[in-house]
Amino acid sequence: MKTSLPAKIWLYFLLIVTSLCVFFPVLYAFMISFMTGPEIIQGRFFPQTFNLENYTKVFDRLPLLNYLLNSFIVSISVMLGQLVVCSLAAYAFVFFKFKGRDFIFFLFISTMMIPWEATMIPNVFTIRKLDWFNTYQGLTLPFFALAFGTFLLRQHFLTIPKELHEASQIAGLSRFKFFWKVVLPISKTSLVTLGAYGFLTTWNMYLWPLLITTNQSVRTVQIGLKQLQSQEIATEWGVVMAGVIVVIIPTLLLLFIGQKQLQKGLSQGALK
Amino acid sequence: MKKFGANPLLWLLILAMAILTACTNSDSNTNNESSTGDSGEKKEPAKTEDGKVSIEFWHAMSGTGQESIDAIVKGFNESQDQYEVKAEYQGSYEESLTKLRGVGGTKDAPAITQVFEVGTKYMIESGYIEPMQSFIDKDNYDLSQLEENILNYYRVDGDLYSMPFNSSTPVMIYNKDAFKEAGLDPEKAPETFSEVIEAAEKLTTDEMKGFSMLTYGWFFEQLVATQGGLYVNEDNGRSGDATEAVFNGPEGRNVFDFLDRMNKAGTFGNFGTNWDDIRAAFSTGKVAMYMDSSAGVAGAINNAPFEVGVAYIPHADEVKRNGVVIGGASLWMSKGIAEEEQEAAWEFMKYLTTPEVQAKWHLDTGYFAINPKAYDEEDVKAKWAEYPQYKVTVDQLQDTVPGYATQGALISVFPESRQQIVTALEELYQGKDPQEVLDKAVEGTNRAIEIANKTKK
Amino acid sequence: MNTTGSLWKRSVNGRTALLYLLPSIILFSVFVFYPMFRTIYLSFFLTDQAGNAAINVGFENYQYLLGSSEFQNSMKATILFVLYTVPIGIILALFFALLANEKLKGIGFFRTMYSSTMGVSVAASSVIWLFMFNPSIGMFNRLLQTVGLPQIQWLLDPEWALLSVSMSTIWMNVGFSFLILLGGLQNIDEHLYESSRIDGAGYFYRLRRITLPMLSPTLFFIITISLINAFQTFGQIDILTKGGPSQSTNLIVYSIYREAFVNYQFGTASAQAVILFVIILIVTILQFKLGERKVHYQ
Repeated sequence: MKTSLPAKIWLYFLLIVTSLCVFFPVLYAFMISFMTGPEIIQGRFFPQTFNLENYTKVFDRLPLLNYLLNSFIVSISVMLGQLVVCSLAAYAFVFFKFKGRDFIFFLFISTMMIPWEATMIPNVFTIRKLDWFNTYQGLTLPFFALAFGTFLLRQHFLTIPKELHEASQIAGLSRFKFFWKVVLPISKTSLVTLGAYGFLTTWNMYLWPLLITTNQSVRTVQIGLKQLQSQEIATEWGVVMAGVIVVIIPTLLLLFIGQKQLQKGLSQGALK
Repeated sequence: MKKFGANPLLWLLILAMAILTACTNSDSNTNNESSTGDSGEKKEPAKTEDGKVSIEFWHAMSGTGQESIDAIVKGFNESQDQYEVKAEYQGSYEESLTKLRGVGGTKDAPAITQVFEVGTKYMIESGYIEPMQSFIDKDNYDLSQLEENILNYYRVDGDLYSMPFNSSTPVMIYNKDAFKEAGLDPEKAPETFSEVIEAAEKLTTDEMKGFSMLTYGWFFEQLVATQGGLYVNEDNGRSGDATEAVFNGPEGRNVFDFLDRMNKAGTFGNFGTNWDDIRAAFSTGKVAMYMDSSAGVAGAINNAPFEVGVAYIPHADEVKRNGVVIGGASLWMSKGIAEEEQEAAWEFMKYLTTPEVQAKWHLDTGYFAINPKAYDEEDVKAKWAEYPQYKVTVDQLQDTVPGYATQGALISVFPESRQQIVTALEELYQGKDPQEVLDKAVEGTNRAIEIANKTKK
Repeated sequence: MNTTGSLWKRSVNGRTALLYLLPSIILFSVFVFYPMFRTIYLSFFLTDQAGNAAINVGFENYQYLLGSSEFQNSMKATILFVLYTVPIGIILALFFALLANEKLKGIGFFRTMYSSTMGVSVAASSVIWLFMFNPSIGMFNRLLQTVGLPQIQWLLDPEWALLSVSMSTIWMNVGFSFLILLGGLQNIDEHLYESSRIDGAGYFYRLRRITLPMLSPTLFFIITISLINAFQTFGQIDILTKGGPSQSTNLIVYSIYREAFVNYQFGTASAQAVILFVIILIVTILQFKLGERKVHYQ
């Protein structure tokens, strides 16, 4: 199907204008990260020179590389944990018939509606009782079970033809083998999607990591962002923006690389 | 067949558990404060590899403040070989306090915690802390070398409970160039409410508002205190547990009327609750006079492309100036940790109060030196010569008349009360009646006080 | 499955299923259900300064909340916020997705641009927006100034603050919604369009008759997620406005946070949390009931 030339021009115009609007805030932060204090006050858009002073300040002030590493460890652990826990649960919901299945499923889904902030304080105390302050498991384990993830995978598992299940039973495949050898490979896109989603949301977590770490050993980058802003003493915006850029680059890169997969898989969650 | 099916699954679970335990093991090496011995009566202090007593210092200073703290801690660790202090940022004051509640009174508590000034009463009642006074008495530490007007805030019933640390007071900062243009004397800032109102009138142009104040309860408290007004009953909570707020009296009313008059006349600029916003407004010439923390003076001078003046905060016309209440935070020592750790904390606090360290702290951050001898240090003198405005902040503090009003109110629900004031101010700026919004804030505060008193054991 | 066996044998399915569900059940119990029950329990108490239940007050916390103007205001702000962000956010994302679904050269680049906001954390984007909203040096007011329009106190004027926060929230969420909707669009069978084009149907006719009905499951999905997320918004409020000015952006989750973390009133904080949960539950059930009927499944 061909699009006419005027329509094409019109489309490109819309695409360019809107996408620029969407991307503008990031670009703006990028520009400011190179500016000195007076330049920022003047309200310029382009810095006079691209000096890296703000970036060196950021890295001087905080063990940012350490934070980045921690963020990676935590995000990857949560990602893997969610994949395991959610796929197991989703599998049970789709391929087992048992009493109370719908009830348990509803219970799971209802957790999506519980505001995390409302459960946070008891959770901080739980983590403290487990002596998990400043540990990776304290940062990751509470997030392994995810209603959204279970839901997403369930939706995809539902599309797997029932005949396949029956055939595998006849062929003598055990339940787990069917899960491992058949269901998971078919659902690769959904798994990738959930993985990316889990990675990104964990990377972006902020209040929880702050509350259960008391030293720098396992802190993540989002806390670093907060550490750059001051309260009573004037904030150096240039340095803060440099921090912002450092923090968002890894996720942006990940998104740019995995965008195609992500969008393919995410949409599958919506299909019944 | 089905029985068999569960096995690989179990295996998977075991694997997951194994990974987790592996994580735990590798972690316990890096956080030595939770692995301190908890068996036996006597608590063993945490030690570094080379046998130094190691303590944690929780603070809420981000940005420049954190930089300075890290440098000071490094200085302390290098100055002696018995103790090792680790400074750890814990988020905002509120977040840090939430964490402290998780570990307070246990061996996992940090030896030193920085808590904001309005948390003073809360900390005293918490049972988490060792009063500073016990070490002062034991060590015969000479308190008179520290700034009296700062100590007064943290002294309760004659005992010092915590060591003052980052201390600031409000000041009025103004644009000298704008004063000249408006035909005002740039060397003589307005002193009373009506003088400020008049000056604001003259200073206001299309571009610039005359006066502004950060929408923050602290400034309101200060403007009440300088008139000698109290915030709560029972002598500001200093003679007994306060049972109700009294800031809707004539002094509080004066402040709200003062702001209301300028707001209605269009000479008041509202720049919200964010410190950086109001400062940006000042340095870009959107407001000619504003109230800031003394810790913000350096930034205001450096960022402004015009000459900056610093003055005492204004007071109501009919009363004498009483002065200012200390703001900021102090350092608290934990109870329930090993004795050696407490000693380490005490040593560190003593180090903090030396003139040299205080001079550095003052220069880095603009907070006061709690040891006034710091102002005699060469660096400080040089800086003061360059920025004579700094001296105004210290003068204002030292001119303060001691009394219940300027000692500051003592209530455990202060953060909530401040929130009430913020709401009241915001509603005032929307044109509501001053007395009405003030009464509402008092009501809200009273409810909080009542609950706090009711639930107290 | 053998239905005549003993109970033990018959339940083998359930028991195996349980094994698969066990990790989720344990984790949910410890980190979601237990704290939720604790929250419900605390909502009937006044708590002391350490956050322990001190005085049982029955339904007093709820009574106080339902009668308090602050809480009503908070509810109003939350509902307005949901109304501002969810429909506009989804329409915008749909618009972008429709644009990005055209087969043009270099479309991958534009898709990446649109989805980019998903990679920017709430903390980071709030900091950027905070700066853009700055009344004196922020970009928005500079822009208004150059065009000669009066300045707006974005985050300081109670009339504007909620809109400003909504604006930034729409931006933060648009990347995620866009990706999901684009995926949904690409799943629509090309043949449907081809046959309609032969019939000479116009773009908007096709949009209404083919695209939207076929997209309805995806739309339903994204609406559910967006609604739940909007009710639970916290980070941007904390950084941008702290609930002000005049409580105009004091969304309920933020109000819970403040009640618990700043005021140490766990009783009222918990009661608010319970009310919020009930509201989200009702909205979601309603949405499922209403939505299911309209959704068109392939």
